[in-house]
Amino acid sequence: MAVRANPDLIDELQQFGARDAVKCYQCGNCSAACAHSEDPFVFPRKSMHYLQMGLEKPLRSALDPWLCYYCGKCSEQCPRGAEPGETMMGIRRWLTAEYDFTGISRLLYRSWRTELITVLVVALLTGIGFLSLGFLVGGGNLSVYDGPGAFLPAHDIHIFDWTMGIILALLLSINCVRMWQFTMRNEHSAPVPFSLYVRYLLLLPLHFFTQKRFRRCENKTPWANHLVLMLSYLTMLVLIMVFLKQMQSGPKVNWYVHVFGYASAIGLVGTASFAVWGRLKKDAAYHRHSHESDWMFLGLLLFVAITGIIQHVLHRAGFPMAANITYIVHLMGVVPMLGLEVPFSKWSHLAYRPLAVYFAQLQQAAQAERALPLGGSAKPQPAA
Amino acid sequence: MRQSVNQVRESSVKSKAETTIAETEATTAGAGARIGVYFLQTGPESSAVMDLRSVAEYAAGLPGVVTVRTLTISSALDPDALALELRQGKLDTIVIAAAHPGFYKPVFSRALALAGGAGEQVRLASLAERGDAPTTAQAKAVVACAVQGIPFNLAAEPGAASFESATLVIGGGVAGIQAALEIAESGHKVYLVERTGTIGGRMAMFDKTFPTLDCAACILTPKMVAVSQNPNIELLVLSEVEEVSGSFGAFKVKVLKHATRVDASACVACGDCAQFCPVTTASEFDVGIATRKVIFIPFPQAVPNAYMIDPTHCTWVLSGGKKCGACVKKCSKGAVHLDAKDEVVELSVGNIIVATGYDMLDARRVERYGYGTYPNVLNSLEFERLTNASGPTGGKIVMRTKRFNKRTKTDEWVFEPDGPKPKAVAIVHCVGSRDQNFNAYCSRVCCMYSLKFAHLVREKLPEAKCYEYYIDMRAFGKGYEEFYERIREEGVFLVRGRSASVVERDGQLFIHGEDTIAEHLFTMPVDMVLLAAGLEPSHGSAELAEILQIPRDGDGWFREQDYNSEPTSTGREGIYVAGVCQGPKDIPDTVAQAAAAAAEALRSIVGSAAAQNRSQDHAGAPLQAIAENAAAPARS
Repeated sequence: MAVRANPDLIDELQQFGARDAVKCYQCGNCSAACAHSEDPFVFPRKSMHYLQMGLEKPLRSALDPWLCYYCGKCSEQCPRGAEPGETMMGIRRWLTAEYDFTGISRLLYRSWRTELITVLVVALLTGIGFLSLGFLVGGGNLSVYDGPGAFLPAHDIHIFDWTMGIILALLLSINCVRMWQFTMRNEHSAPVPFSLYVRYLLLLPLHFFTQKRFRRCENKTPWANHLVLMLSYLTMLVLIMVFLKQMQSGPKVNWYVHVFGYASAIGLVGTASFAVWGRLKKDAAYHRHSHESDWMFLGLLLFVAITGIIQHVLHRAGFPMAANITYIVHLMGVVPMLGLEVPFSKWSHLAYRPLAVYFAQLQQAAQAERALPLGGSAKPQPAA
Repeated sequence: MRQSVNQVRESSVKSKAETTIAETEATTAGAGARIGVYFLQTGPESSAVMDLRSVAEYAAGLPGVVTVRTLTISSALDPDALALELRQGKLDTIVIAAAHPGFYKPVFSRALALAGGAGEQVRLASLAERGDAPTTAQAKAVVACAVQGIPFNLAAEPGAASFESATLVIGGGVAGIQAALEIAESGHKVYLVERTGTIGGRMAMFDKTFPTLDCAACILTPKMVAVSQNPNIELLVLSEVEEVSGSFGAFKVKVLKHATRVDASACVACGDCAQFCPVTTASEFDVGIATRKVIFIPFPQAVPNAYMIDPTHCTWVLSGGKKCGACVKKCSKGAVHLDAKDEVVELSVGNIIVATGYDMLDARRVERYGYGTYPNVLNSLEFERLTNASGPTGGKIVMRTKRFNKRTKTDEWVFEPDGPKPKAVAIVHCVGSRDQNFNAYCSRVCCMYSLKFAHLVREKLPEAKCYEYYIDMRAFGKGYEEFYERIREEGVFLVRGRSASVVERDGQLFIHGEDTIAEHLFTMPVDMVLLAAGLEPSHGSAELAEILQIPRDGDGWFREQDYNSEPTSTGREGIYVAGVCQGPKDIPDTVAQAAAAAAEALRSIVGSAAAQNRSQDHAGAPLQAIAENAAAPARS
């Protein structure tokens, strides 16, 4: 079937950070250098080609960009400086915008001003909201942090957290369904029987929690950093969603709960700082280029982690009013970070990446069941 | 019959000088020559010593000069606007007067051509002829000479008035040989300076030429012999240019001539000496895949056809004359002089042709192909020698085999004529070329020589599979596309995709890459990998550019004056480039450019002889006198 070309695609992708794809002359060195590239998911050259030719539809239905973990080996070896690694990163941002049905993602990615203003507005509204909550619903006294009469009662925050969590999960789920439609329900993909979906379901949690594919990259540091950051974040999320009351109780330290909080706080600040340092130093291909959204993400993460630590310390040190104010400031970071990043921006890959690994496996399995090797390869497969 | 300076000064009646100038005008400019003098001003109008305005006024009074314009160089000159001006003034000859007028010549040539004139009628008046701060008198004299078409140094430099007709050719590859022969065969002296022990260069190493598959030696050796037999050519091997002074028409060149330690005129190349020489080392001519003795001849057809000694490995030399000396005893002609010393030769030449060629990119730099690690990964020159009938295996394509060297007590990998034949050969294009991590430029010859390799593999080993991994197939020359078709029909697998790496597992080489047409990754077991390594300026190019004061481009090649219209000229008058040293090119283009460079040199040699006759009378005149003489007829 003929594919309609969109000549403006490459210009559009530039705004998502894929700036050097025009330089590519299709030598294929990148695909061969990549540890993840294997038939039938041969990338990044193919994606670069789609981009150069403006083949929007095949690019939208490609799983390849999510199978790339951006170790940067392709960019290091690229003879043209076409930055295939950064191009894949740009395509992932574009795909995030494509999957997002609201169109908010596109607005945020394409203009850092919009992103910054949105974050600030959401933060401001959050601040006002929680102040009103404290004065109208809560204890009304800024100098009470915990227990009965607390300015921000754990119970109310808990309800707020769950409401927000459900909304965000709903938005992300809709985007995931769209991803499934684009990648698994197009004319090129083989029909996958339901039984296969069930059989490989365990791949989702496996790849979510271990990110084991990332380890295929020659350089293991990014994988380790990424895993620690993700696990720290997850721990913190569980603590807040389930053990908020214990977290907020005090001022005595509740070691059974707080020890996890300390570990994940150290993990978050450490890994985020490491990432910032790398992006500033620009010594490896994978953090040589930074999109504005990368800085926003890291900035919010560090802000949230540090304000979280401060409010905790202030509370334990006996400054309940300062702790309350820092808590509100902390929430002013948390709400825009989760509210914008999870469904519309960088955080969304926590769902898309395991899904892509899962879908890729399903497609390969479906092909194998139909005994139709993709493209009819007669060549020996890579032994490694 | 050169007039002395005094005579010119004393000629109270300037009748003689006037007639000379009148004649000059008639012969050079023609009856209706309409000359435009363009001053290109880059600095202040008048310096402490030179007043540009007065020079311009003076130029306006010279015979034949129609317009004098002073342009301030603030932006690029527009040839179209200039052409309009030239057409309006009906100008047919342009004199560019500037500190470095050659820089603007292409623009004016083009403007003149656009205006319907002959692009060559652009003359250069180099105001900085004698240093960066010209005096008014000098500037007037320089402009006067340019208007009259007389080389300034002929008219103004006492003692240097004669144009040296000899030419220096640096580099004895096919370009240097061609240029030397062109000039020598038209009756002029040529010094051919070659760094190695023989002329022939890279082409002498090749087995076949593309696309005709002619035997390279059959084309080159007759030319090499012609060089050795031409009495006009003086060949200096093992020699390097150390110093160049003077200018166009009168260069003084110092050449360091390393001692060959064998008298070439006495040596009959019988080889007795080498038979008894106890030391063996890697042969440069065979790019290290074969060995030679320390007293050696690079290859049997070498020119000069004489043995020489490699002092870096010679026992006698290294021991300070205490040990060995077998070759001296064995030589029946008494030709070996182990104590011969290097000497510095001084040459006077009018023109210099640079033809220093290229080096192969060191394939070890592209680590992922394993060159230098895996014994059966070869670079292209190694394969040329391997497949060459005069090479170590007599032209058989075999794999390296492990052999125990008794002397060094180590295993070494060598080519033996009865070694195992490869069953699959991979040829990798663009190794270090078109790659910004190495050389961003296209080396231009690799595609075609790779196809030639494929042909040789299929011809000599019909059972063997041959795979070419290319990015783009550049078959740009006459007959090249047909050659590409032919190789395709010969059953070579042409895979579009740059292979990314070569690995060895259990003694088997695997080549890994992407077939970008089938969109598949491949990992192909092969027995031998040939790396089509790119071309790089030969080592020492930077130093030579310093010595000659000629510019190089960003990639290190010598820069031509103008890519389209002056491909052999350099930024310096009297110095030309030919062959690959100006940029990668194949043999036909190299030979053509060498002949073109020779033509440039010959033009100045022949032209100077004519001009010398014209300018005899005011040769060596002081600047003041030249300027006054030139302006006289117009004033009278």
